[in-house]
This record gives sequence, C-alpha cells and structure tokens, in this order.
Amino acid sequence: MKPIAFNRTLRQLVALPILLLLILGSFLVWQIQVTARAQRELDHSDRVTAELQELQNLFIDQETGLRGFQLTGDPVMLAPWKAAAGPIQSRFSDLRQMLTGDPVQMAQLSTLRSRYDQWLGFADAVLHQDAAALNAAGMNQRGKAMMDAIRATVSAMQLREANRREQQYHYARWLQSRELLSLLLSFLTVGTILVFFTRHHVRAVSASYLRRIAEITARSEELFDSQQWFKTTLESIGDAVIACDIDGQVSFMNAVAEKLTGWTLGDARGKPLETVFRIIHEETRQAAENPVAKVRRLRKVIGLANHTVLIARDNREFVIDDSAAPIMSGADNMIGVVLVFRDVTEERHMQSALVASEKLAVAGRLAASIAHEIHNPLDSVANLHFLLDEETDQEKRAEYLRLAQQELGRTMQISRTMLSLYREPRTPIEIQLRELVDGVLLLLDRRLQHQGIHLVTEIADDLSVEGFPAELRQVLTNLIANAMDASGPKGRIRIRVQRAEAGELRGVGALIEIADSGPGIPPETVSRLFQPFFTTKGANGTGLGLWISMGIVQKHGGSIQVVRSDDPELPGACIRVFLPARTFAAASPLTA
Amino acid sequence: MPTILCIDDEALGLQIRRAVLERAGYRVLTAIDGAAGLALFRGETVDGVVLDYYMPEMDGGAVAETMRRERPDVPIMLLSAYINLPTEVVQRVDVTLLKGEGPRELLEKLRLMLRSAGSPAAGLIS
Repeated sequence: MKPIAFNRTLRQLVALPILLLLILGSFLVWQIQVTARAQRELDHSDRVTAELQELQNLFIDQETGLRGFQLTGDPVMLAPWKAAAGPIQSRFSDLRQMLTGDPVQMAQLSTLRSRYDQWLGFADAVLHQDAAALNAAGMNQRGKAMMDAIRATVSAMQLREANRREQQYHYARWLQSRELLSLLLSFLTVGTILVFFTRHHVRAVSASYLRRIAEITARSEELFDSQQWFKTTLESIGDAVIACDIDGQVSFMNAVAEKLTGWTLGDARGKPLETVFRIIHEETRQAAENPVAKVRRLRKVIGLANHTVLIARDNREFVIDDSAAPIMSGADNMIGVVLVFRDVTEERHMQSALVASEKLAVAGRLAASIAHEIHNPLDSVANLHFLLDEETDQEKRAEYLRLAQQELGRTMQISRTMLSLYREPRTPIEIQLRELVDGVLLLLDRRLQHQGIHLVTEIADDLSVEGFPAELRQVLTNLIANAMDASGPKGRIRIRVQRAEAGELRGVGALIEIADSGPGIPPETVSRLFQPFFTTKGANGTGLGLWISMGIVQKHGGSIQVVRSDDPELPGACIRVFLPARTFAAASPLTA
Repeated sequence: MPTILCIDDEALGLQIRRAVLERAGYRVLTAIDGAAGLALFRGETVDGVVLDYYMPEMDGGAVAETMRRERPDVPIMLLSAYINLPTEVVQRVDVTLLKGEGPRELLEKLRLMLRSAGSPAAGLIS
C-alpha cells in the first residue's frame, strides 16, 4: 500500500465512525424533539382540562351566590358571586389563548362565553328584581336551564379535551416504542457498518503494515549483510586501510593498518590521524603533509609523496606506498577520507637489488668499451717499451718516450672517467650538462664510430642542473645506447640540450632530447617501456634500463616522455628528459 | 723480407706497431680502415695480415671474411681489445691476439703463423 492510500485509509477509519455517530445523534435529537412535543401536547390538554374545571367551579360559586341572594335577598350572600367574577374573566382569557390552535374548541369556547353572558344577563335581571319576583318558580327554572347549558358546554369541552389527551397519550406511547425500536435499529446498523468497514480497512492497514515491516526487516538484513561484507573485505584486504571523519579523526582501521601503525582500532578511534599515522619524508626526515588536509583541499584521490616513511607507535619505520581518497556522501558532501597504504620496505630492498644488478650490467657493458679504450694505449705503450729497448738513437728514444707518455695520459683519462661513473657525491651538486653529455659520449664514442652512426649535438652553453652526476650519466648512457641500438649501423642520432622555461606543470630547468632514425616505438609498447623487465632486445637487455632511468629522473624531480619526432630525418623515437634546475632546494639540507 | 699488411683505425697505435714490425725485419704496409686495407691486399704481395677487430664502418671480422674469400692462403692475425670475440670471427682467422699482450708475443705468434702457413720467408725472423 502506498503512503497516500495508507493515509486515506487511516482518515476513513477515523472519519466514518464520527460521521455515523453524528447521524445517529441527529436522529436521536429529532426523536427527542418529537417526544417532547407529544409530551407538551399532553401537558396542554391537562392544563386546558384543569382550566375548564376551574371555570366550572367558578360558575358554580357565582350560581351558588346568586341562588343564596335569590333565596335570602341578603346582599351578603353575593360575596362568592363577586369573588368569582374577576377570575372567570381571566380564565376565559387564558383558555382563549390556550385553544387558539383548535377551532372546534374555540367555537365551543365562544358558545360558552355567549351562554355565560346570557346567564349574566339573567343574573343582572335577578339582582334588580324585587324579592317576590326573585322567588318566582319560572325565574329559577330559567336560571337553572341556562346554567345547565353552560355546564353541558364545559362538559363537552372537557370531553373533547379528554379525547384529545387520550389520542395524544397513545401517540406519545407509540412514539416511545418507535423511538426505542429505531434506536435499537440505528445502533445495530451503525454497529454493523462500523464492524464491516473497520474490519476491512484495519485488515488492509495491518496487511500493509506487516508487509512494510517485512520489507524493512529484509532491507536491514541486506544492509547488515552488506555491511558485514564490506567490513570483512576491508579486514581481510592485504593493504592497510584507515578511514577518518572530515575532522581527520580515525574512525576505522583494518588489521593490516593496526599491525603497521602499532595502534589498535580501540586505541586509535577518535584520535587525530597525525597521531596514529605519523609520516615523514624518507630522505629529509621532515614531517610529510597530513593527507586528510591535502584531500580536503584538493577534493580528489591523491597518491602520497614518494619516499614516505611511516613511523609506528613503537618507533619502527616502514617505507610505504600510499594513496588517500575523499569519502563522499552525495555529489558535494565530503564526509571523510580513506587512506590505503602498504609496506614496501621489502619491495624497496628488492628495487635496490635490481638497481644494483642493472648497474652491474651497465658496468659490464661499459667495461667492454673501457677495456678497448685502455688496451689500445696500453698496447702502444708496450710496443713503445719494446722499441725503446731496441733503439739506440737518442732522438727516436725521446720520441718513443713522449708517445708513451701521451698514451699513458689517455689511459689515465679513461680510468678517471670510469671512476667518476661510480664515485658519487652524497649530496646533490651542480652539474654542467655539456660536461655530462661529453663525458658520456667519450665512453660511447668507439661504439658510435664502430657502427658508423652520425651524431649531431646541439647543447646550450652554461646550462646546469642540480643532482647526482653518476646517476644522470647512467640515464644518458642508457638512452643514447638505446638510440644507437634503434638507429642501427649508419643511423642518425641527434642530442639536443636546451633551457626549459617554467611551464604550467614544472619549473625552470633543462630539456634533453634524444632523437634517432630508427623504426620508432609502437604506441602499445610506449606504456610498457618504463616497466621493469620489459625489453625489446631479447637476451641482450635486462629490461631494467629505462625503469631505472625513470626512477633516477623522478628522484631528480624530472620526467621522461616519449614523443613523436617532428624531424623527417629522424623519424624514430624521440625521448625527452626534463630536469628541473633546482631539485633538492626544498629538501635541503640533506643529511649525509 | 715478408710483407705484412697492418690494419687499425688507431693511427698512433698503427704507426708504433709498424715500427715494431719493421724493427723485427718485416716490410710493413699500413691501412687506417678496412676498405683501404682490402685495396692494399689486392694490389700488393702480402704474406700475412695483422688486423684490428674493432673498427668503424667495416670491422675486422668483415675484412677477414673478404680476404679469406679472395686469397685463403694468406694467414690473418686478429688483434682485439676484447676477450670475448665472436666465435665465427675467431674461426675465420689463423691467430688471435689480445691487445696489451706485448710486442714479443705479437712477433712470436706472427712468426709461427707465417711458418705454419708455409711462407717462404717465414724462417727469416727468429
């Protein structure tokens, strides 16, 4: 049942009994009025009868007084006559009023009046006669006849009133029984209607109510189940999860989060997030921004800064990888923040091992070209030594010595370059990019020449960035070596280093662009290029080079992009490395 | 006097090697890359070749392959700064020598190579 129908039924349930009771009440009032009217009629008849009786008595009084005067001639005897005269007039007046609605009685009353007036005329004559005349038999007979006529009229009127009363009485009795019966019938009818109506409606309401209760029960069970499902999912998820309310107070933690932070949910609930989730930058050891504040500011999912370290309650430290997301209620109402993070300490160690292994592979590859570089001058020195032994001519000996010196100098330079690859300052230093690129090209020169690759460099002067030179050299070696592999023998490579002005997403820095004449990189490969162990070189590549290069560039605050080449002579891949001029300024001083 | 064709892209190293070989009594022809070397190889009488492996444009392996095809009787010594030379290249030449092993090793291996090749002048140098 819909809410509107439900309300209508409820209204009907209340309204109908009230309506029926009103009808019943009106009916009762009408019945009572009818009965009261019948009763009034009865009272009226009784009063008329009483008045008539009273009038009759007064007539008798007057007649008695007149007779007494007739007999004695004594005016004293006329006292009753006089006393009755006034009341008779008022009785007539009363009766005239009372009998207005009854023409028959009114006519009788007029007759009575006229007969009484006649009798009064007779009485007047009697009062003015002499004594002898008063006693005359004729006179008496006349008066008696008149009075009898009056009495007869009164009796007739009394009889009529008695009859009327009798009728009224029966009518009242009939009304009474009718009233009783109709009352009984009304109650029966109203009761029946009410019983049927309310039973039907109450059943409908009750059915609807029961249905609603069943629905609500089912829904609450579903809600409970889904709540349990989410709770279990969150509890058993492999990542740590912490939920906070909008004020940044912890409201939920799963088991992994409890284990990593060292806080139980019971202890942590209601505490500010920064108390439970203490995070610092791995290298600067300065407190990292509270993710709740950041999410509240940005209102979107954020990945927390790389190199975040979580300090547990017992001061143990975990390197974590984490993200934070707003919890929204509706489209705009943010009600909390959820953090998802995991311990990547092991992963970090693994990464370090991979980085080391790639470094070894790079070293191995470089060793080959370095061996070549060093063996060539060493071979010359050994040959010169042989010639020195054999030669006696002083001038020639001096020339051999000078050449040997020159070749040894070359060896020293190569060994210095090699050493600088692996001797790394612990703090970032200013790096002249021209020097950096030249150093890398010196080592790759042999291979470039061997493959007959035509190399063009366009390097801006006085361009420097801040960072770790050996790492950046590794990146460049990697990218140029890839370009050499891609372009193949007699291919073309262009290395361009230029100033990058501050843009929307980055600050001032340098842009290193390496373009080659190779076949280019298919779009489906681009997205996988920077994943570890992805290689297109089969057994000749470790698949770690670009992954590590990306890591190094990101560590320097920069980025690597693969773009389409706009130079028809270099249709292959075009790799762009952006390096900011000042990477570590915000984080300095670094603790060495 | 046996004639040795010496090919290396390192000009200074080539000149010094030439001096060593001349002091040992050989007639030495020099070339700074593979193409020039092959031209001399075709135009001159050559008893043996001392060839550098790692060179731009055309490496020692390719040069040796051409020489073998044209004159398989001329022995070839391959010089290299690498320890791990490709196997097919090693099989293509008579002798390999690691740069830096020294001039005495060079001269000894060259002498043995020429002798085993049956060069009439092989015995001249001792």
